[in-house]
Amino acid sequence: MNPLSFAYKNLSQKLSFYALYLFSVSLVITIFFSFTSFSMNHVMLEKISENGRVESMCNTISVFLMIFVVFYMSYSNRFFLKQRTKELGIYALLGCRKSAILQLLAFENLFICGFALVIGLVLGAAAHKGIVFGISALLGLSIDTAKIPFFQPSAVRRTVCFVFLVIFILVLSNGRFLLKISLMGLIRFEKKAEKNLTPRRLPALLGLIIILSGYGLALDIVRGTKSVWFSIGFYVVGMLTMMLIVIGTVFFISAFLPYVVGKRRKNVKAFYTGTRIITTPNFIYRIRTNARTLIMLTLLSAAALTISSIMALSLYYPVAAVSRMAPSELECRIENDQQTEEIKLTVGKYADMKDISFLRTDVYKITSPADGLPMEYHVNTAKGDSENEKLLRTPGFECISYTDYLALLNAQGKHRIAGQLTGLQEAECILVKYQPNQDGSDEKGDIYPVVIGENTLSLIVKETTLNNPVSFANSVGTLIVSDAVYSMLQKEYTPETSILSINGHAIKDNEPLYAELKELLHDSPYLQGSSHRIHEIFSLSSSTFLLIGFLVILFFTAVGSILYFNNISTAADSKADYEMLWKMGYSGKALRKIIRKQVFPFFMIPFAFGLLDCLFATLVYKTGLMQNLLGSNPAQFLPTLLAILLTAFFYLLYYLLTIHTCYTLIPHVRAVYCDDRHHDRKART
Amino acid sequence: MTVLLKAKEVTKTYENAKRPSLNKVSFSVENGEFISIMGASGSGKTTLLNVLSTIDTPTGGEIRINGTDLKNLSATAAADFRKNNLGFIFQEYFLLDSLTIRENISVPLALLKVPPAKIEKNVRDFAKRFGIASQLDKYPCELSGGQRQRASAIRAIIKHPSILFADEPTGALDSSSATELLTTLLNANQELHTTILMVTHDAYAASFANRILIFRDGCILKELSKGGSDRHEFYEAIAAEIAKSDTTRTGGSLK
Repeated sequence: MNPLSFAYKNLSQKLSFYALYLFSVSLVITIFFSFTSFSMNHVMLEKISENGRVESMCNTISVFLMIFVVFYMSYSNRFFLKQRTKELGIYALLGCRKSAILQLLAFENLFICGFALVIGLVLGAAAHKGIVFGISALLGLSIDTAKIPFFQPSAVRRTVCFVFLVIFILVLSNGRFLLKISLMGLIRFEKKAEKNLTPRRLPALLGLIIILSGYGLALDIVRGTKSVWFSIGFYVVGMLTMMLIVIGTVFFISAFLPYVVGKRRKNVKAFYTGTRIITTPNFIYRIRTNARTLIMLTLLSAAALTISSIMALSLYYPVAAVSRMAPSELECRIENDQQTEEIKLTVGKYADMKDISFLRTDVYKITSPADGLPMEYHVNTAKGDSENEKLLRTPGFECISYTDYLALLNAQGKHRIAGQLTGLQEAECILVKYQPNQDGSDEKGDIYPVVIGENTLSLIVKETTLNNPVSFANSVGTLIVSDAVYSMLQKEYTPETSILSINGHAIKDNEPLYAELKELLHDSPYLQGSSHRIHEIFSLSSSTFLLIGFLVILFFTAVGSILYFNNISTAADSKADYEMLWKMGYSGKALRKIIRKQVFPFFMIPFAFGLLDCLFATLVYKTGLMQNLLGSNPAQFLPTLLAILLTAFFYLLYYLLTIHTCYTLIPHVRAVYCDDRHHDRKART
Repeated sequence: MTVLLKAKEVTKTYENAKRPSLNKVSFSVENGEFISIMGASGSGKTTLLNVLSTIDTPTGGEIRINGTDLKNLSATAAADFRKNNLGFIFQEYFLLDSLTIRENISVPLALLKVPPAKIEKNVRDFAKRFGIASQLDKYPCELSGGQRQRASAIRAIIKHPSILFADEPTGALDSSSATELLTTLLNANQELHTTILMVTHDAYAASFANRILIFRDGCILKELSKGGSDRHEFYEAIAAEIAKSDTTRTGGSLK
């Protein structure tokens, strides 16, 4: 037997059997090559990377990516090897040496991976082009695409070397497998059945207790300053929570689930149905024999979903918070009228002045002798601009008039919020909160004695709001006072600051205007711009988003594919069982139901745990590590919801693909399934 | 006795086959009979079992079981028919590895939606009657081949099928286990009046039946009845007939 020609004949004759392996390997190489091309695309990196940040991220992620590709391809290779043990046993019976069998497997891998490499390079190069185009459009980058070749030679070299390294690892792995297994083991490998063990109560209860403790600890963060996250420390409790959840997941899947389903097995009323009598014991058997794979997939799924949710939240949240950080399209402090005129002239160069509103707001600072003043009164740094956080601010309320407040809200397009306001009595005020109080309390109804000249006036907080009309760079602890009080302030004091807010569609997304104003104002930290801020966030975050996106896609592809392989392998091994059930009187429909019920938990468990872990992790991240600028606005959880929906869609797709393959794998199910589909089509036409 | 199964000129020709696997086979089975179908490999006995049990469809002829014409059954109706009327024993046992013996035996009753309490009682009674009561909570991999086949037989008998099809049930058993299984089948036939149609090429196994159909080239070559003879005499008659038919095989001669 010449292994080379035999491998070639084998592949050409069993193309459909190897198609799935080829497809999965091609997919992984596509992702790997597109990532490698991106990380070696200097034209692109020059535009989006500062101080080599993206390059170092690429290097870190590429290590994960390589480990993952090796793991994934080893799993696929082992899966297909197991499917063929009988065939390899026959070769051995016919007198083939193990070294010849190993050569055959090596050549087959070489052919498949070589072909997958060609597909992966072409698709990966196309995906890379798409990524470059997408990022350029998203960030408004001007990139000469002609300078970016379709195939990056360095990326091709690295990918080819890597694929050959993986083939070498696969050959070693196959060699180890063949060395360890006897001839009888090869022939009877598929028939090897593990002994069933009775699930034990103690590990089961331990699993439940540990995982509930983990989630309970995560939930404790909502208690705010009373929570152990604050009293002990965020990172210590964070590590403990993660450990509890990981250990809990291990015990929950390997002990608690079989135990609970085992209890259900003893409930004769529920158990003795045509479907459950097959699916319940089968679930226990499969979960026992596949516990390690399932735990690994569950943790992987949880990590992928959590990362994608937090990543989406990290990008979306600052964008959503721009309405608070920089509520006007452009805003700056002005020193005198001449400066205002210069700004107007500059704006006029870029847009028609009649479409633009210029609002000047004079801010008066007052102090209060009282205790128990809100946090915003004492804030002593000019928050809102990272470069400017060292600037000191004296405590006090920064007052603007109710009329100015209304005018600013309307200029910023917040007509609905302005319409809901009911006006202020003379001694009433509206307190602008930096973020809601952690204990959920509200200053509404509080009375603050404030000093105006020689008089002391008591101001009653009519309401609090998160709709600040000026940016935090220019005012924190803003108090909106009645026009009457404001005119008293005008008489007594000179303004602490004057702020010019510029709004209008005509100056939206105008980076050149922002750059010119920045120059005009000598890089003033008080110049703020809504569109500019969003642009800045995208520039800083999109590369991170993209790189982590690569990992998340790879994680999910691996989870989906491994679940797919695992389930169809089980279905293929159970063909004889399904045939027997069919002969006993199970209809094709009943068998399909059994298949669905057997496959579903294996997709549902990683998804459900992923979902739970993601929700708790997002809650902890949001509460512990992010500022609560948006209060309880449900819209801020939109990206988490989106990540969950996308994951659910992904799982659903793989689930449907898996059950479809299982249906077509089992002869009697396939016959009835095809027959039913034919009837359905006929009925529709 | 009433006729339970009637096969009339049943023919089965596989695609691209030169000759039919079953060639106008006609016979009938009465309620409570124990019939053995014998013949060399390729004589058509398993094909006959498959078409009689709705697993395969004949290309010609008519089969009626309990008055139901099998030709007119759709796939779903055929599954229901098997569920309600037929029992199977296979050479390879085909017990489900993940189910205990108790659960394996319960499957046909659960499929028939028998109340759980009745299922449990029936399983207990049958296991006791056929000597595997102590094995009920074990898994198939913990049992010997003979015990597994007996469990498989009980699984087929427990639902009181109109007719039990057994395809080479002793093929994978040693002689002692084979005798135990055949005794189980005989008891089921005599005490529970289960009608049995067993395919075998073993004259000893066939001697447990009360009628033998010997097949060759898709046709019934000979029919033997036990009549008043005992099992030993019947066995000798079968062996003699098999030896006789072997010497006259088409295309060959012992001379």
